[in-house]
Amino acid sequence: MSDTKRYPMQFTGTGGEYFVIWIVNIALTLLTLGIYSAWAKVRTLRWFYGHTLLDDRAFSYLASPIQVLKGRLIALAALVTYYATSYFAPSLAGLLLIAFFIALPWIVVSSLRFHARMSAYRGLRFDFTGTVGEAARIYIGLQLLLIPTLGLILPYLAYRQVKFIASHTVYGQTAARYRGTARPFVGVYLLSFVLILLPIAVIAYGAYQMYVMRAAGVPPEAATAALGGFMLAGMILFYLMIPVISAVVMARTANLLYNATELGPVGFASGQRARDLIWIYLSNLVLIALTLGIFIPWAKVRLARYRAGRLTVVGPADLGQFAAGQQQSSTATGAEMADLFDLNIALT
Amino acid sequence: MTRFPGDLFDGLTSRAHPVVASIEAGHLAIEGDGIALSIPLGQIDVAPPVGAARGVVRLPGARELHSTNQAALAELAALARRNHPERWARHLESRAVYALAALAISVLVMFAGLRWGIPAAALLASRALPAGVDRSIGEQALALMEKVSLAPSKLPAARRQTLARELALECARQACPPHRLLFRNSPLFGANAMALPGGAIVVTDDLVKLSRDDEEVLAVIAHELGHVTYRHSLRLALQSLGAGAILVAVTGDLGNVSDFAAGLPSLLLRSGYSRDMEREADSYALHWLDARCIPRRRFADILQRLDNGPPDTVNLLSSHPGTTDRIHPFLVPGACA
Repeated sequence: MSDTKRYPMQFTGTGGEYFVIWIVNIALTLLTLGIYSAWAKVRTLRWFYGHTLLDDRAFSYLASPIQVLKGRLIALAALVTYYATSYFAPSLAGLLLIAFFIALPWIVVSSLRFHARMSAYRGLRFDFTGTVGEAARIYIGLQLLLIPTLGLILPYLAYRQVKFIASHTVYGQTAARYRGTARPFVGVYLLSFVLILLPIAVIAYGAYQMYVMRAAGVPPEAATAALGGFMLAGMILFYLMIPVISAVVMARTANLLYNATELGPVGFASGQRARDLIWIYLSNLVLIALTLGIFIPWAKVRLARYRAGRLTVVGPADLGQFAAGQQQSSTATGAEMADLFDLNIALT
Repeated sequence: MTRFPGDLFDGLTSRAHPVVASIEAGHLAIEGDGIALSIPLGQIDVAPPVGAARGVVRLPGARELHSTNQAALAELAALARRNHPERWARHLESRAVYALAALAISVLVMFAGLRWGIPAAALLASRALPAGVDRSIGEQALALMEKVSLAPSKLPAARRQTLARELALECARQACPPHRLLFRNSPLFGANAMALPGGAIVVTDDLVKLSRDDEEVLAVIAHELGHVTYRHSLRLALQSLGAGAILVAVTGDLGNVSDFAAGLPSLLLRSGYSRDMEREADSYALHWLDARCIPRRRFADILQRLDNGPPDTVNLLSSHPGTTDRIHPFLVPGACA
């Protein structure tokens, strides 16, 4: 098409500005024994959304703190119930765990739906139309297949999760389509697998060296000391590989998600690079440790700025042609449960 | 009258209509190409702005007014329908002094909470919790330790039986909390004794070997009985949980709670008692020894020997703070009836 235009995504917030919001949030949350945390969450998200610009127009986050607080209290009650029963009646806790596993698809869908419906751009809300049934097939069915297939199904599982999220996202009344295939996901997880093999290879090489030295008549103490060096190097490498692998998976998955998604006449171009993310993760980690946490706001802003800077929307010269869908309400319970139980559902 | 430019979205399409809005008495007037709206301020919902992020004015009929004019939006937020408590937050975020105060308050509250608030809350909570909770946590912790760091005792059975009999004899005479005496061999813990929630008292072989007589071992057990009486282990576990809650409040990451609670039994093994708890247990041991007519010195003697033990053994008792201060009351001859 001749009238397509490239709209770079922008993030205009600064670390200093976020620091003030962040520290006031913490102080008020502490002083109100945690109740303010719902307001803190909403203000934080509103700040991040309000600084994310596309075509010089900001995104908006619409959830009310009371909604979030209600969801948070229900989720907390569920967690407390679980821990209380695990102490008083461990057999019942097992049943609760099964109940939670069965409820998982509902939590996934309702969390994605809440996030989508509370997000808006140019006066139109997003929505999520995935069904609990499909979520159950992916988050329970395929997840259970991980063990018998020795994890070989992991790339396909990741593909289905990305497809589930992308293809059921709706903006106004325009539904997104996902055109990606499972094939590129195999590469991502193959690379991750090779990376995790590296530290193991170092240790194995150390063990081999020890064997050779022992065979050559080197005293056992010296041989063992040589292995110790390799063990240490292997362990350090292993802990370094954790952020490296998560950066590789995050960057590649974000690209695979956006680059194959179409929203009506609009397409996306995402160019996140694993090495950039690795640098951001590691340097953030060091600076947060050195500043006893004070650097956290700057770290979050750096990441948001990078992610926005790597995303371009390709669409018609006029983005004003999307029509609104029906307004629907949504509760925050599922979303807060997902947060509380540490489920990583949203991919980017 | 405040006038400011903005974009009006009609809620039907994503088209932006450039408009000029003005705040008039009781109304928000919005004018643009083919648009002339006058909306009572009572029907407007303005989320108080956050920082310099762009704000949204929500109008009836799913319409939205977007503007970059922060001052005007703040003014509108103050006049609009709902009285958001966030207005306070907005005010606090507006000056660097307040931010510094927030930082100071956060650090102070965290410190005070960890030092006094959480121990007090843990004490209250431990009183509310039935004894079954102690036992359940204690059993989990013991099972974990048996797997990792405890082996069956190698002491002669006769020595173990003598010690157990002496303790049982004494507990028939004076009130002891419900307890269970366990002897275990543990190179990792070295010469040590520990009280688990629910009353299990683990005494290591090295401790028994380090003692010169049974009275010294009984003195250490008396100290552990003090921990059991005051349910220190449970309080410590609850304190860890409270500390986790503060951590979550600060980082805003709720996911940490579940990780934290799951690691409770193992955490119990890692953290030591506080100085106050040690003092409480010591004072219990002092009275216990007096009632038994065991010289107080016995506790001081074995404590000093633990303190001077080989430095390469991990030793929880010797890591207790201020041994010299602690043994002071035990150097005075006891008031034996």
